[in-house]
Amino acid sequence: MKKILLFVTVGVIVFGSLLPFLWFLDTSLKTEKEITTIPPVLFPSGSTEFYRSSFERYSLLHYVKNSVIVASSTTFVTLALSIFAGYSLSRLRIRYKGLIMGSLLTVSMFPQISIAGPVWRIMQSLNWLNTYQGLIVPYVTLTLPLGVWITASFFKDLPEEIEDAARVDGCGHFQTLFRIMLPLAGPGIFTAAILIFIYAWNEFFFALLIMTEQGVQTLPVGIALFQGQYTMPWGEIAAASTVATVPIVILVFFFQKKIISGLSAGALKG
Amino acid sequence: MKVDKLMWKSFFLWSLLTLLMLLFPLSSCTNKEHAQKTLKFVTWKPNQPAVWEEIYRIFEEEHPDIHIEREVGPHSSTAFHDLLTQKLKNKSTDVDVFFMDVVWPPEFAAAGWALPLDALFSQDRQEQFLQSTILANTYEDHIYGVPLFIDSGVLYYRKDLLEKYGFNAPETWLEMVSQAQKIVMEESEQGNEIYGFSGQFKQYEGLVCNMMEFIMSNDGSFINNDTGKSNITGERAIEAVRFVRDSLIEKTAPRGVLTYQEPESLDLFIQGKAVFHRNWPYAWEISNNPSKSRVAGKVGIARLPHFEGSQSYAALGGWQLGISTFSEKKELAWKFVEFLTSQRIQKLFAVKSGKAPTWKALYNDEDVLKANPHFKSMKNVFLTAYPRPLTPLYPSISNILQRYFSKAISNTDTDIKKEAEDASQEIDRILSMTQ
Amino acid sequence: MPFSLITRERFFGVGLIIPTLLFVSLFAFYPILYSMFLSMHRILLSLPGLGREFVWFDNYIELFHDKVALHSTINTFLFVALTTGFEILFGLVIALVIHERFRGRGLVRAAVLVPWAIPTVVASQMWRFIFNDKYGLVNFIFYGNHVRSYTAWLADPFFAFGAIVIADVWKTSSFAALLILAGLQIIPDDVYEAARIDGASTWQQFTRITLPLIKPALLIALLFRTMDAFRVFDLVYIMTQGGPADSTNVLQFYGYKKMFAEGLMGYGSTISVLVFFLTFTISLLYIRMIGSGLMREEA
Repeated sequence: MKKILLFVTVGVIVFGSLLPFLWFLDTSLKTEKEITTIPPVLFPSGSTEFYRSSFERYSLLHYVKNSVIVASSTTFVTLALSIFAGYSLSRLRIRYKGLIMGSLLTVSMFPQISIAGPVWRIMQSLNWLNTYQGLIVPYVTLTLPLGVWITASFFKDLPEEIEDAARVDGCGHFQTLFRIMLPLAGPGIFTAAILIFIYAWNEFFFALLIMTEQGVQTLPVGIALFQGQYTMPWGEIAAASTVATVPIVILVFFFQKKIISGLSAGALKG
Repeated sequence: MKVDKLMWKSFFLWSLLTLLMLLFPLSSCTNKEHAQKTLKFVTWKPNQPAVWEEIYRIFEEEHPDIHIEREVGPHSSTAFHDLLTQKLKNKSTDVDVFFMDVVWPPEFAAAGWALPLDALFSQDRQEQFLQSTILANTYEDHIYGVPLFIDSGVLYYRKDLLEKYGFNAPETWLEMVSQAQKIVMEESEQGNEIYGFSGQFKQYEGLVCNMMEFIMSNDGSFINNDTGKSNITGERAIEAVRFVRDSLIEKTAPRGVLTYQEPESLDLFIQGKAVFHRNWPYAWEISNNPSKSRVAGKVGIARLPHFEGSQSYAALGGWQLGISTFSEKKELAWKFVEFLTSQRIQKLFAVKSGKAPTWKALYNDEDVLKANPHFKSMKNVFLTAYPRPLTPLYPSISNILQRYFSKAISNTDTDIKKEAEDASQEIDRILSMTQ
Repeated sequence: MPFSLITRERFFGVGLIIPTLLFVSLFAFYPILYSMFLSMHRILLSLPGLGREFVWFDNYIELFHDKVALHSTINTFLFVALTTGFEILFGLVIALVIHERFRGRGLVRAAVLVPWAIPTVVASQMWRFIFNDKYGLVNFIFYGNHVRSYTAWLADPFFAFGAIVIADVWKTSSFAALLILAGLQIIPDDVYEAARIDGASTWQQFTRITLPLIKPALLIALLFRTMDAFRVFDLVYIMTQGGPADSTNVLQFYGYKKMFAEGLMGYGSTISVLVFFLTFTISLLYIRMIGSGLMREEA
């Protein structure tokens, strides 16, 4: 009985998640006239016209490259800072922890439109507009709260005796952090990594404001710019979305495996 | 355990590298020599990039000491506006020449972003351009932009269907509605599902253009030219809005037009599902392109209809070139602007990309007319295209109008008179700030 | 050792936090404070002649009387309630499902992350395409080939709102799922084993073991989703631009129009400050009500 329920639920979930995307994939393989045919055409003619067009005329690969650079860098930096801060806030005896955690949380409440203006001006004065760091820095700022909170809560769940045991073994602070705490908090760190990466991958508003030169624009901005003055190139957008999504999914698929294998939490408290 | 250590080590190394990278900007290489004579041109992505490439090449050939660096912005007029103003309000020296939509010059002029061009743009030269476009670029007796392209609302229709039922292009809106009704009914009996009308009624700037065409063609107006106050509570204006809500939306046009901007509304027409269609001149080329349209060759073009006793009004659209007051290369910028808007280059645009020029003489030019036969009938429409309110606070007024119109036409229960009064009050309040 | 163990630990601890605090102070706190400062000025970018008057709380009073702002606030609250509720619910279901061991689990996980891997602006375009009244998939599914019955979903205030809720839930349920999954994975198997031996049913195991133990994860998911939902912008920007008739006009979008489109920097900042305070208040309420020990200081 349980198996059937599981099966059905899995089916619904997969179908629901994939249907819109599959429809877009379907659209990307049509011809221009087929796309806006009324009523809609279910089976495309298999034309790769839009893929070719989005690569050649719309420099899709370019945008993907920029997004990868910005998103990975953001992830690395935020993770590094989050691990430091999260460890400190959850395991070490420092003052004002609550205040710091609380203020970090409030950062996530700041509306983009109010932060964007001043941040833009700071970037302008640093000459960092239309540079990768001009975007990475705001992204790091915006993802730090989530990163710190996740790593903090993971570190917190580890048994308290670990540090004492490590000290007995002769480990200094840094050694304890790197050699023992980190590997144990693996699942949390990977979760944080994925969340941060996808946030940076998806972000639109700051990217739109800060990256106005085509050379450095990220995917969301690039695709938004596919739109012409009076034209809506659904075909190219559909093709671009497919190209943009598949590598990410594969990437994430492998990271997910990392979480399952070897670092199963059951071994921790068992 | 060893693999993990290696992984963590390399991870932190990466992060360190990234952090270091942040300290030493890896921005795109700016060639110092070019910096001297590079003009930054903020534009939108062209529909026909090939023509633009050719034109840039011609300019750089004739001016080898100047290099044009393009910054391509979003195409949506409002998004382009928001990005461009972001730079200008922060006095960025990064912008030299930019495009302005037809409703922006007063705003850019009052804000001190667009350079007054009276010294550079001579009276004689101004007279070569279509009068309405020059007017749109004038604010408080100074000229702030040079018009490059003109746009105005026109009526497209299915020539074949109108012929089939013995109709001529409608002169009044009521005529159009009744023609549409007849055609839709008869066609549906023959198994051909088709709608009567398609236009742009989503809550955005285009809605203001569409509604203005209805209101003005009923002798109404947005602003009373004598008092300078809002006139949308006038009977004529209300009547026109009521007409759109009661006779067009869901009756002649599908309800979906409330979600349409230009692309979707055109799609309906070129898929053969609309008898009449209101759009800008760009749609002509697309409707007659067999690879994009199912009705290629069956399309007619005409002036927009009007209400009985009044005359036809088309919303003035188009793009102008401005020079930033913060630019450090104003003379060079003018050279580029002068070049782009010259008769020779405008002709190139007209012949190769079907863009309607602002240079008057080109409408009698053989080559231009051969490439765009419909320009002949459109010339009169262009000459009489009417601008939207020319005020620095136009964006605010437009938002109020958009809100009002959208509320009025999307709900049959809306008390139009009351909404008009509320909107009118808001508009007057805003207008009073400019006194 | 000149310094005690505790002091050294404190130094180390503080040192670890400083980079984070630097980033956050400069690029988050300074801008929001500046924004609050701006919100007390009257600024019309297109009329610089009027200057930048300091008007104390006039903007806030005006906001209080602004009918459109009121409507936006209601829209925003409704959006937050609906999306957060559904996302946590679906997220929980998804997390539970992909936590189970079965063949092809990796593929299911990958499938679940697809909505999230598509940039929001792309997903919004996609949904706009799907809800199109003529060539959209939704109409096709409901009405097949009867073009005449096709509904203009995005033209109706009620359905347009539903559309953005659906798009958001579709997009971010996997975010909640990931957070909850992380919480699920911490629970060791033997706890369930022991419960099974004691004769607990699956439902009892769920309510008595799973739910309490994933409370921290649920709270984080709820908290972050709420804060994000209050600030929704991309979806509305792409899908509906606030229409039809302002039915999908949410606060941050309204603030954007005032600030960037109309050049009313002061008033726009006021709206964004309102968004901040609303989010702050609600979040505080969450933490009080559900009150996990996450914020408590270590002894």
